[in-house]
Amino acid sequence: MDNKDLIAIGEAAELLGISRDTLRRWDKNGRLRATKSSGGHRLYSRFQIELYLSDLQILAKDWVESATEISPKLYCPNSAIFQARLHKMERFLSRVRELESIFPLIVAVAGEIGNNSFDHNLGNWPDLPGVFFGYDIDKRKIVLADRGQGVLATLHRVRPTLETHAEALKVAFSEIISGRAPESRGNGLKFVRQVIADNPIGLVFRTGNAELILKKDKADLDIHGSPSNFRGCLAFIMF
Amino acid sequence: MKIYLEKFGTTLTSRQAGKEAFSAFQPRLSDIGTNEPLEMDFEGVVTFSPSWGDEFLTPLQKEFGKRLILKHTENPSVQATLALLEKIHIIKFKRI
Repeated sequence: MDNKDLIAIGEAAELLGISRDTLRRWDKNGRLRATKSSGGHRLYSRFQIELYLSDLQILAKDWVESATEISPKLYCPNSAIFQARLHKMERFLSRVRELESIFPLIVAVAGEIGNNSFDHNLGNWPDLPGVFFGYDIDKRKIVLADRGQGVLATLHRVRPTLETHAEALKVAFSEIISGRAPESRGNGLKFVRQVIADNPIGLVFRTGNAELILKKDKADLDIHGSPSNFRGCLAFIMF
Repeated sequence: MKIYLEKFGTTLTSRQAGKEAFSAFQPRLSDIGTNEPLEMDFEGVVTFSPSWGDEFLTPLQKEFGKRLILKHTENPSVQATLALLEKIHIIKFKRI
């Protein structure tokens, strides 16, 4: 490894937006290993940090499952911050020529999923409010997650017969139903489904122990068991 | 009366913002004549989604019916949103 590539723990912590203590803990438990200088100080390679930051799916999955510390850059504690960052992403996407004809749809899909998290958990966040919102335009992906109640708990209030996360996912993406009835809500995910069926956009949406996969020209809902079980929602958008 | 939605922002996606926009627009409703059309122009809007649209356009459609006229736009997020609102509320927006 080129020594010029090595940075001290303070700089690494700053790049990741977390504390030095967290980095020391991550080194001990193997989540992000450091090398040691001759004096015994922890050193990290820039490449290693950049790679870690770019792995948005893993960061979001760890956060939604275990409330691991994440960079403030990836965390929107309230709707206003989410809106501002969504607008910023829209500006970046608008500069990509190949996405010229569909970028408003990508932003609308991300907006509906993120806003859903806020709308359905307002005043009911079990622990951490807000959403994880990260994107990598070069890799054509957006990651959203929340530590809210999840789709089943939200819809169970208006549809008490729902028993499984898979059933709840099916209802959320196919029926006009609102988790905040009698308010007229709950149309966002149907919009997401329709837009994806008509455009080169993909979605993996997880909640509880269920996973939904949507892609272009696939009108059917592909719902199956998820490798993990957690409260809240996790969404990967590919484009 | 002609309304340029761009004046409410170019990224119109959240229910909260749609509700606020509708509240802000309410006082102007009384300026519209009995038979006067209300025309919505989407020029300048970049992203439009059902959450915002449902809070702003749906109540106007209920009140104005065919007097609410939506100016045609090629923006795909506007087109997809209007199609969904029409489907869920079983309505038809008048477009020019």
